[in-house]
Amino acid sequence: MIALADRVAAIALSEPQRIALVQGAQRVDYGSFIDAARRFAGFLRAAGCRRGDRVALIVPNRIEAAIAWYGAWIAGAAVVPLNAQARARDFAPWLRHAGVRVLVHEAAGREAIAAAAELAAAPLRIVLDAASAGADATGWTQALASEPLASEPVEPSALAAILYTSGTTGAPKGVMLSHANFAANVEAIVAYLGLTAEDSIVSILPFYYSYGASVLHTHLAFGARLVIEPNLVFPHLIVETLARERASGFSGVPSTYALLLDRVPLADYDLGALRYLTQAGGAMAPALAARLRAALPGTALYVMYGQTEATARLTYLPPDRLDDKPGSAGIAIPGVRLTIRDEAGRDLPPGADGEVWAQGPGVMSGYWNDPEASAAVLHEGWLRTGDLGRLDEDGFLFLAGRRSDMIKTGAHRVHPLDVEEAIAELAEVAEVAVVGIDDATLGQAIKAVIVPAAGAAPDADRIKAHCRARLAAYKIPKQVQFVAALPKTASGKIRRALLTEPAAAQEAS
Amino acid sequence: MDHRQQVRQFVLKNFLFTDDASALADGDSLIGNGIVDSTGILELIGFLEETHGIRIAPEEMVPANFDSIDAISAFLARRLGA
Repeated sequence: MIALADRVAAIALSEPQRIALVQGAQRVDYGSFIDAARRFAGFLRAAGCRRGDRVALIVPNRIEAAIAWYGAWIAGAAVVPLNAQARARDFAPWLRHAGVRVLVHEAAGREAIAAAAELAAAPLRIVLDAASAGADATGWTQALASEPLASEPVEPSALAAILYTSGTTGAPKGVMLSHANFAANVEAIVAYLGLTAEDSIVSILPFYYSYGASVLHTHLAFGARLVIEPNLVFPHLIVETLARERASGFSGVPSTYALLLDRVPLADYDLGALRYLTQAGGAMAPALAARLRAALPGTALYVMYGQTEATARLTYLPPDRLDDKPGSAGIAIPGVRLTIRDEAGRDLPPGADGEVWAQGPGVMSGYWNDPEASAAVLHEGWLRTGDLGRLDEDGFLFLAGRRSDMIKTGAHRVHPLDVEEAIAELAEVAEVAVVGIDDATLGQAIKAVIVPAAGAAPDADRIKAHCRARLAAYKIPKQVQFVAALPKTASGKIRRALLTEPAAAQEAS
Repeated sequence: MDHRQQVRQFVLKNFLFTDDASALADGDSLIGNGIVDSTGILELIGFLEETHGIRIAPEEMVPANFDSIDAISAFLARRLGA
C-alpha cells in the first residue's frame, strides 16, 4: 500500500510547481501544499497530538480543509470531517463520540464554538480567518508557522478517518476507514476513470461526504488539479469555471445535473476539454441521463454507486454500456465483489431481488465505538449495504431502493428521526412523522406531517423556524402538513408510505 | 417601505420563517449561512423582478449582488437608479 499522503509528497518532490488546488484567484502548487500540510502536522505534534488522536474539521470546502486533512495524516492522526452545515446540536454529540482532541473551524463558526464549549474535555481549537484566535485557541496562520514534520511510515490498518453518516443525534454512527481503505478505493477509481496528472476537476461536493472526499483524494494522489467551487447557488458560475479552467472532469449528484440542465445554456460554453462526468449519491432517472448526454455529447458519463461504509465507491457503469444497461448502477469496481442475498444471508441467483452485500479492500473496519452496529452490517469480511437490488447475468447491478427510511435530498441524506426529534421538542406538537416526497430537482424533498397537541394551533412557519435553529438548513421541511391522526399499522407503527402520497387537503406549506 | 426593508422582510419570512428582525444582520452572508440555496435564489430573484418590474440578467446573478441584504440593496439602488 502507498498511503495517500505519501503519494502527494512524491508528486511534491518531483513536480513541486504542479498546481494542486484552485479556489477563486488562489492557486496552490503541490510543493506549497505539502509544505503547509507538514507544518500543520508539526503544529499538531508539538501540541501533543499523538498517533491515532482524532482531529475534527468543521470547515466547508476550501484549500485549508485539504491542508488540514493531509496535515493530520502526516501527524498520524485520524481525520473526522464533520458536516459543516450542521448545528451545535449535531456537532457536540459527534465531537464527544469521537473523543476529538483537535478541532479546526472557521472564525465565523459559532455553532462549532458552541459545541466545543459543551464538551467536558475541551478540544484544542485551530481557527481559520481569525485576526486573533483568542486565548483558548490558535490561529491557522500561527499554526502554519510551526516547523514542518517529516513524513513517517504509515501502518495500513491504522485509523485514517471517521466519517459520521446521517444517523440520528441520539446514536452517532462513525464509519472507521483505514489508510488501506482510502488507498485501495482511490486506486480503483483512478483506474476506471483513467485519471492522470493531466486531469482537472471542478468540485462542489463537500469533502465531509464520502463522494466529495473521494474526488479530493483521487486528484491529489495522482497529481491532478482540483478546482474548488463553494456551492451551486449560481449554477452558471460553475459552468463558467469549467470552461475557464478547461476542466476535464465534473462530479455531481442527480440534482446537480438537473440544476445545470435547467438553468444553464450549456451549448453557449466551450466545454471541449470536459472528458467525463461522474454521478453518484442516488439513482439518476434514465431520462435525466439522456438529457445530460444529449447536452454534452462529447463527454463520457459515469454512473456510480457506493457507500461511506465502503470508503466511497462500489460500482460504476462503463459509459459505453449506458445504452444496453439502462438504469444499472454498473459492475463492481476493481477489487470489489458483490452478491445479492436473502434475509437469511444466503446467496441468490442472478435476476433475483435481495440485499446487496459487498466485499473488498475499501470496506470499513466498523463503526467507531459501536461493536453492536458494526456486527449488524459486517459478516466475515462482507458488508451488508442495506440497499436492495439484483445482479443480471453479466454482473450488472440494478438497485431497487433502500430498506431504511433514509431521505435523499440533493446531495444529502437525512434520517427522518433526526428531524422528528427536533420538531417533537415543540409543545404544540403531539406527534410528527417526517418523510421524503418526490421533487423534480432535489429527488426528494422533506415533508413533516404533524398532529397538533390538544388545544394547540401550530403554525408552519414556527415549525420551520424551530428546525432552522436546530438543524442543518437542508433538513428543514419544505412542506408542513397538519393532520388529525397519523396512519398506523395495527402494531402502532407509522405507515410512512401513505404519507408520501400527495396530500389532498389540509396542506399548509 | 424602502427597498432594504422589503427585501429584509421577504428573506425573514421566506427563508428564516420569522418576523424577528434580529434574526438577520444586513451584512450577514445569505449563502455562507445556508439561508439562500440554489432553490431560494430563484425565489429571491423572482420576488425582486416582480416587485420592481425588472429583469435580472444571468450575468448579474453573482454572489456580489445577492449575498446579503446590503448587497441586494446596493444592487437594487443601481438597477433602479434610486
